[in-house]
Amino acid sequence: MHLSALLSLPASLAFLTFTLASASPHSYTEHLHLLPLPQSHLHAHFNFTATTPLSAYESSHFRYFPRSLAQILQHTRTKELHLRFTTGRWDDEAWGARPLDGTREGGTGVELWAWVDGEGSTTVAKERWSELVNSLSGLFCASLNFIDSTKTVRPVRTFEPEGHHGNAKGGLQLLHGMLPHEVVCTENLTPFLKLLPCKGKAGISTLLDGHKLFDATWQSMAIDVRPVCEGKAGEECVLEIQQSVSMALSIPRSMRERHDPIPRPARIEDVECDESKPWNGHDTCFPKALTGEPAWTLSKVFGHAAKGACDLERDDQAFDVTLEVPSDRPVNATGASELTFPSTTRRHYRLSASSSFDLSLPAHSTPLGQNSPPSPPLYATRQIAGHGQERGSMHTTLRNPHAHPLTLVYMETLPWYQRPYMHTLRLANGKQEKMYYTPALDRKRGTHLELVLTIPAESTATLTYDFEKAVLRYTEYPPDANRGFDVAPAVIRILANNESPQFAGSYVRTTSLLLSLPTPDFSMPYNVIILTSTVIALGFGSLFNLLTRSFVLAEEVPPSPLAGVVRRMRDLVKGLLGKNGDVAKDEESSEVKDGKTAEISRYMREETKGKANGIANGDADLRDRRARGSP
Amino acid sequence: MALSARLLALRGSPFLYKLPPYLSALCVLVGIGWILLLPLNEYSRQTYVSENAILPGQVHTYFGGSEHNIFRAFRQEVYALSQQSEDARQAGVLKVLADSGLKTASQPYAYQVAGESINGTNVYGILQGPRADATEAMVLLAAWRNFDDQINYSGVALALTLARYFSRWSIWSKDIILLIPSDSTYGPLAWVDAYHSICIPPTASRNISAVPLKAGALQAAVALDYPAGPWGQRFSSLDILYDGLNGALPNLDLLNTAVSIASGQMGIACTLHNHGTHSDSYRDRLSVLGSGLATQSLGHATGPHSAFIPYHVDAITLKTVGDGWHDEMSLGRVTESVFRSINNLLEHLHQSFFFYILLNANRFVSVGNYLPAAMVLAGSFTISALGLWVLSGRDDVLVAPLAGGMAKEKVEMETVKLGSDVALVPRQSTRTIQRELFVPALSLLGVHILGYIPLWLMTSLSRENLLLGLRTTTAVTLLLPLALAATIRLTRSQAQMLQSLSLILLGALLATLATLNFSLALVLGVLAAPLAFVRRSSSALVAAAQGILLAVTSPPVAVYALQRMFYPAAGLEKLLLELAKGWSAQGVWLLWVVWGVWWPAWIVGGVVVGSGVMSASSEPR
Repeated sequence: MHLSALLSLPASLAFLTFTLASASPHSYTEHLHLLPLPQSHLHAHFNFTATTPLSAYESSHFRYFPRSLAQILQHTRTKELHLRFTTGRWDDEAWGARPLDGTREGGTGVELWAWVDGEGSTTVAKERWSELVNSLSGLFCASLNFIDSTKTVRPVRTFEPEGHHGNAKGGLQLLHGMLPHEVVCTENLTPFLKLLPCKGKAGISTLLDGHKLFDATWQSMAIDVRPVCEGKAGEECVLEIQQSVSMALSIPRSMRERHDPIPRPARIEDVECDESKPWNGHDTCFPKALTGEPAWTLSKVFGHAAKGACDLERDDQAFDVTLEVPSDRPVNATGASELTFPSTTRRHYRLSASSSFDLSLPAHSTPLGQNSPPSPPLYATRQIAGHGQERGSMHTTLRNPHAHPLTLVYMETLPWYQRPYMHTLRLANGKQEKMYYTPALDRKRGTHLELVLTIPAESTATLTYDFEKAVLRYTEYPPDANRGFDVAPAVIRILANNESPQFAGSYVRTTSLLLSLPTPDFSMPYNVIILTSTVIALGFGSLFNLLTRSFVLAEEVPPSPLAGVVRRMRDLVKGLLGKNGDVAKDEESSEVKDGKTAEISRYMREETKGKANGIANGDADLRDRRARGSP
Repeated sequence: MALSARLLALRGSPFLYKLPPYLSALCVLVGIGWILLLPLNEYSRQTYVSENAILPGQVHTYFGGSEHNIFRAFRQEVYALSQQSEDARQAGVLKVLADSGLKTASQPYAYQVAGESINGTNVYGILQGPRADATEAMVLLAAWRNFDDQINYSGVALALTLARYFSRWSIWSKDIILLIPSDSTYGPLAWVDAYHSICIPPTASRNISAVPLKAGALQAAVALDYPAGPWGQRFSSLDILYDGLNGALPNLDLLNTAVSIASGQMGIACTLHNHGTHSDSYRDRLSVLGSGLATQSLGHATGPHSAFIPYHVDAITLKTVGDGWHDEMSLGRVTESVFRSINNLLEHLHQSFFFYILLNANRFVSVGNYLPAAMVLAGSFTISALGLWVLSGRDDVLVAPLAGGMAKEKVEMETVKLGSDVALVPRQSTRTIQRELFVPALSLLGVHILGYIPLWLMTSLSRENLLLGLRTTTAVTLLLPLALAATIRLTRSQAQMLQSLSLILLGALLATLATLNFSLALVLGVLAAPLAFVRRSSSALVAAAQGILLAVTSPPVAVYALQRMFYPAAGLEKLLLELAKGWSAQGVWLLWVVWGVWWPAWIVGGVVVGSGVMSASSEPR
């Protein structure tokens, strides 16, 4: 099985694998494979492979193998690990088969599967798996810790170990988890690059720029750790880590200037008009369909050129970059030596340590459709149909475009709140060979369904079943905006079949789905909480204020020393004024002149007198009260 | 104590027995008056965007420049395609979509209604958002023929140009589906039905095929209706259509977003129900409210968007109106901005209102303010029903004086005790007579079952026979009550019970309907209002007056009136065909409500009046 999977890899990777086996036990190679795709896209596959002898691994001696990851693997007894971060969609109708037959990609979001040594016990394996996901979560800044028991399944037929586990294979347990909602972004790329020996500072890894990588139409980051015993008998086995980044970039989008990425309407001179249309004119332009491939340069597509080489003990024949274009296309490469191999479509480049590497290709007018991309083993779509909050239906269509039947394993993991009605499971136009089914347990375990199917030649099989949507407790809704719940993609593995050996071991994944559950209007309780909190705050605030504050009459307040100073000053001024008769006379004359004012001021004087009396009375009252209260 | 004793004594008061009809009349007046109050500032509110994520008009729109040249070419192309055969047209549209980088598919559909077949093909393309995860989608609709059966040249061309322009952006969080159905009503309906269908061949009764290509959950749909020909025509304002099937409405936020973008960002005036000159006066507001009630109560599709709303996909149609200075690029930028706003949504539109009545593009009445009108109307039937039920259990002796005559004989009195309260009441008022419920209940059931005959006739006859069917139904409807009254021979008590049961059912159904389709419940409540007031009367004059009132407000007469008022040009046959299509293809409940709810209640009202005539004619013998 493993050998056939390897054979199906493209030649470049196979070449790498074989060079690895013969290289020294501590080795590191990196490689970039570039392939222009139809519809102005470019596929770039970065591969970084490091190995360490198993004995060195056991004694914690690392050179190229990342220590941080190795320690996690050692601690959790993980013998083989596969981790994927994926966003976007691979357009298999336009671009054909998936890169490396889909073996180095995952479903939308994060996917993780590993063989853990459980020492014969499922609980031990479960604990170790839990430790593994939690440690990886910290290492990769991803919410891997959310892969709990409800998201973990134990696939039966979908995955086979890639590594050589020898006799230990029997004790290993496979666990698999997916996080379809996880948004893969820069914070996952940085730790990924940190695991590399050159840490993104030299070599092809300098091309991995978050801005461009995460603007790709499809992108998948993968980490695969496995033991390899390729060599002759007696030679030591090595532990190999393959880090790969695979992406499909839109060339026009990537070629936009960094300071002005807005896709404004092109200038009319730049639009290619179809002049055969009768109405073509100065203000009317029917755009021609794009058939060729636009010009592109490596430095513009990835934001900058590759700086130097990650030159760590490699042989002279090793190459860093492969460009797969027809041999008659002019290619301008700078900063690298071109190696020639007897291949018509591949050009190999070896980076030099001191200069920066760039590739530039002029626009290519002949349509790419001439050599159409290899057709994928299978076209698969999966959709949720139905409407309303109670029920729904899952529709999966599997189209076999080939002239021979396909045997495949179809694996689905459903969250527990999506309860399938297995009696409604129908397969139209195909044959169901076997079924592995683990029913869900509310809040404990999700549904795990694996089907072995045979799809006849050139036909479309449809798999449908109905499901019920569970009602969640209000605390089980995530705290963020409720767009629905993501359902993990289905994983399809093509099995070896007498008539179609070339697709054996390839994987196809469907897109993830959105499941809308009955959702209470959370803004309503929010409003209620806000309102009640306000009322309580007001009520409690004023009550607390009343209870803790002591109320005293104004007279009980000890007189401020400043008030005495002010009164003395005022008396002093008054005394001075009283002595000066002229001023008093002036005042009196002004009162006579304006009788009204005089009256008002007199009235006011009386008022103040009254007040003074009141105060005096109050004083007396207070004295009374004190006298009464004292005995 | 004194009060409770007095209330106890009131049990036998003639006043109480006389009260229900007056209360019912009050309810009807309040219900109608309530609607007239709604346009006032005190009862309506300014619209506002409730969902923070939408951010309407906050983005700069770039649609313009060379896109205008491309638009002109596409408009010519659409015109050229319109001259070709149906197959060539579809192939041409699919090619333009495929060249813009969309995944394309088509879906044929055929409906058989009233001996006619509705055929067409939906052509659509999916623009997969480059960074989207295939879980959500929004729909841009441009029907090949618009709702008025004109070819939507500029609308389709604009949609194609926008699809090409949108495909260059990587900001889309949702896929964009560009749907070009053959017609504006049944194409979108077939498509959205098939999109949500649980079975693989969507439905056996409706001959629509499955949608071969899908793209996640639909979040919103915007339809363009711009039938300007190949040389274009500028427009003065945008008419926004929002009514869904069966009176369901899209989320008010979507409408507000479109209005605020069109009028705020682009300076294009927005109208509703084609009220071009809206001075925001009471009169104009009331007339928009009236148009809204009319379209909502009919419940038929008002544009390509209507089919989406029952599936909880909020949708509107932007229709260009008049001759002004806004060009296609302005409409394109409005659409671009609306799609950017929908794209911003993190969750399904849920914040704003789903139940509202619009008074103009930026004034609305919320459900709490208008719902009581229909509820009060429904209540008028319930009150009458309760009053009749009480009367049906009373002896004639006491009831006779209430009916007008004066009882001369001495009324026997007795004391009643309730706790410590004691009261002296007529003996008759405490005695109940046996209610013979069997015949009224059976009659009511029978009449309700009979209602399915006109429903079947009006939905299943072929087009030529529809008119004949309606005439027969009218004749039978008007004569049936008399015939039933002559055969069943109800007693006074039974007639009251029959009317009471019928009214209580009508009241309950209308109250339920008011929560689903407010306008239909309101209109029906007003039309059926006389049913709460007709009484069995032996006076020939009163019976004749009641008979005429009932005949004028009978369901078949309403159909004739509907044609005269709203479709004077189209003719009755066309209207009947549209109604039949609505029932069979669109799934509109209107006909069921008319023939299954209103018609039986009306027949019962007629039987009650008729039984009075019969009893009067039999008495002298």
